[in-house]
Amino acid sequence: MTRDSTINLSSGRGLPQLAELLYVLVRKELKARYKNRFLGYVWALANPFAFAFVYWIAFKFIMRLEIENYSLFLITGMFPWVWMSVGVTGATRSFVINASLIRKVSLPRAILPLGNVAQEMVHFGFALPVVMAFLWFAGEIRPNPSWLWQIPALLVLQVAFVYPLALSLALANAYVRDIEYLVGIGFSLLFFATPMVYPITLVPEAYRHWFELNPLHALMQSWRSVFLQGSLEPGTAAYAAAFAVVTGAIAWWLHRKLAPRIGELV
Amino acid sequence: MTHAVMCEGLWKTYQRHRPVGVKTLLLGADPPADTRFAREWALAEVGFAVPRGRSFGVIGANGSGKTTLLSILLGTVQADRGRIGLSGHVASLLELGAGFHGDLTGRENVVLYGSILGMRLAEIRRRFEAIAEFSELERAIEQPLRTYSAGMIARLGFSIIIHCAADILLIDEVLAVGDARFQAKCHQALREFRARGGTLVIVSHNMKEMTEVCDEGICLDLGRVVDSGPMAGVAARYQERMAAARPVKGGKHAER
Amino acid sequence: MPSVERSPRQLAEFLYLLTRQELKARYKGRFLGYVWALAHTFALAFVYWIAFKIIMGLDVTNYSVYLVAGMFPWVWMSVGVTSATRSFVVNALLIKEMGLAHAILPLSNVMQEMAHFVLALPAVIAWVVLAGGYDAAISWLWQIPLMLVLQVAFVYPIALGFALANAYVRDIEYLLGIGFPLLFFATPMVYPISIVPEPLHDWFELNPLHALMQSWRSLFMEGALDPAQAAYVAGWALALAAVAWTLYRKLAPRVGEVV
Repeated sequence: MTRDSTINLSSGRGLPQLAELLYVLVRKELKARYKNRFLGYVWALANPFAFAFVYWIAFKFIMRLEIENYSLFLITGMFPWVWMSVGVTGATRSFVINASLIRKVSLPRAILPLGNVAQEMVHFGFALPVVMAFLWFAGEIRPNPSWLWQIPALLVLQVAFVYPLALSLALANAYVRDIEYLVGIGFSLLFFATPMVYPITLVPEAYRHWFELNPLHALMQSWRSVFLQGSLEPGTAAYAAAFAVVTGAIAWWLHRKLAPRIGELV
Repeated sequence: MTHAVMCEGLWKTYQRHRPVGVKTLLLGADPPADTRFAREWALAEVGFAVPRGRSFGVIGANGSGKTTLLSILLGTVQADRGRIGLSGHVASLLELGAGFHGDLTGRENVVLYGSILGMRLAEIRRRFEAIAEFSELERAIEQPLRTYSAGMIARLGFSIIIHCAADILLIDEVLAVGDARFQAKCHQALREFRARGGTLVIVSHNMKEMTEVCDEGICLDLGRVVDSGPMAGVAARYQERMAAARPVKGGKHAER
Repeated sequence: MPSVERSPRQLAEFLYLLTRQELKARYKGRFLGYVWALAHTFALAFVYWIAFKIIMGLDVTNYSVYLVAGMFPWVWMSVGVTSATRSFVVNALLIKEMGLAHAILPLSNVMQEMAHFVLALPAVIAWVVLAGGYDAAISWLWQIPLMLVLQVAFVYPIALGFALANAYVRDIEYLLGIGFPLLFFATPMVYPISIVPEPLHDWFELNPLHALMQSWRSLFMEGALDPAQAAYVAGWALALAAVAWTLYRKLAPRVGEVV
């Protein structure tokens, strides 16, 4: 089918309008989610903390894992992880959940999974001060001036890393619904394979280099080194960035191939 | 270009793409036949052109392909073959409540839907008073949408699209839920919209409304254009055929 | 606000229809749905096996059987309670029609997850026998059904209580999202209770979830359920039922107005 190229539906939708649309969609989700909840945002914050606490008890106290500053290690990884995993899981279902938007309203479809990623980034942003406070009180790590550029750089890196995954999985899930289940299983597996609750040095020598190839490990390690050492390891971050570029290209290609048809699939 | 909306040789089948499961992929089992359309084509060789400032009606029995046609014009569904041209900014009201969120208030939904239609936030704020006034929702505009009746949602939806500075409006069957007085107000607004140079493509089962609102139109039957011309004639001939026919051939097929 | 009188037979039919309809809806268009449910639990068990056995060097005999024997009843319990908690909110329309937040709605969630569990049992038993080298016992024929009844009796009052509470305070859903992962490590599910250090150890033993899971494990790994543990669970089930019943009488009539 041809659509006259001089005249298309997104005419009048410049970048500022798209940014506003993203803002409106994210605000809608957050507003709807926190209606009728007394504690609202507190839950978004409490969840990663509670998980970190559980793992702290289980690994430090019961398994007697010997790691220096284990609670700091957990907290600094847990929040970016929750942003990534909850964002991608939500995004995977975004086309299916928003079927009426996809079928009956014209909007750039790729913005829906981006909405999920942005929404979880908002949660992460709200959690940042709390994480910093925790680092200060529990680890005596004072806020570092270089965080002023390192943290924004990592925020951009993580969006660039996560969004292509989110978009690709959302597209795939419109065609094959089982993807939702795979994503759920995949993240539970990856949580321990990245690894998030024990340092990679604990992995037996024979498998360690396989673990180190995992780009998620590079991303999480970047966050940890920024928070704990105040330094952004260029090699690690570059590895994550390279992965983001590759998945970005794949997602762009998938979007071109698969997006036009999803209106009749969801 | 003189035509605001045109399409030619549109063909569409719904049978090729369907969500599959891993089992189907692995075992290669044939997916069950799609019974939604008991025919091969949802649209076959459909074409028409609407000049700027005119109003075009699409009528036909349930399942004749009207909604598919509007979805293709809007771009949410792709045709298999054919050519489409739309000159200008498009706004649509294809389904009651699509794009709205039940937990948000009427005011918040105006911002949401306006933004989805491509408006800038400043523009929405500037027009909000006009939208609220036209919708006649009064204080209900601050209530969550889920407390609204179907008529109230339709009023809000129509108020937004009529104020969104679109050049082309696609409307599917949503005006029927409003009361007679509000419908008259909508028709007046649509006349003014066309007087400003706006173009309208509308689907409805209400022949009286269609005759009143539309200049020209087509009648679809099983995905094919069976009649076209001035709306009054098309509607009259359609009603004659409906009265003469036994229960319609296409009547069983569910409409998307 | 009294509901229309229903005979036990009608209630049973209603429960059956509700459960079947939910299961059907969930797996419609997802042909591998059952396989995914099974695969998810096995995959989690595998992950814990890698993390705790290989990486941390936890020394437990037949650790994979220990994990699998506990995790399936755990998933039934946690997923059942979590979805039951939302049942009154999700079925708001139904409640307004029936005029009462009927206790059968959360029961349906518990039964759905039990259906999954029962369907998974052959795989669990195969794992216990083939991977663990345990003998299948004849006594399982009556002990497994007994444990099924015990777990329903234990889980249902909890499910009902949370469903009622969540109708009034929606935060309960979130609380459970945190609570179950916490309990998963506190019960404990991935390491034996024997390695818990002294001051905590006695408290861990009081946890009725531990007794329930331990009953399942001893059933599979020792060929017979532990009467003391099972009786402890049954005692809790009675106490919980009394609490849930009171809550139901107090809170149910107004649920239709708050969901």
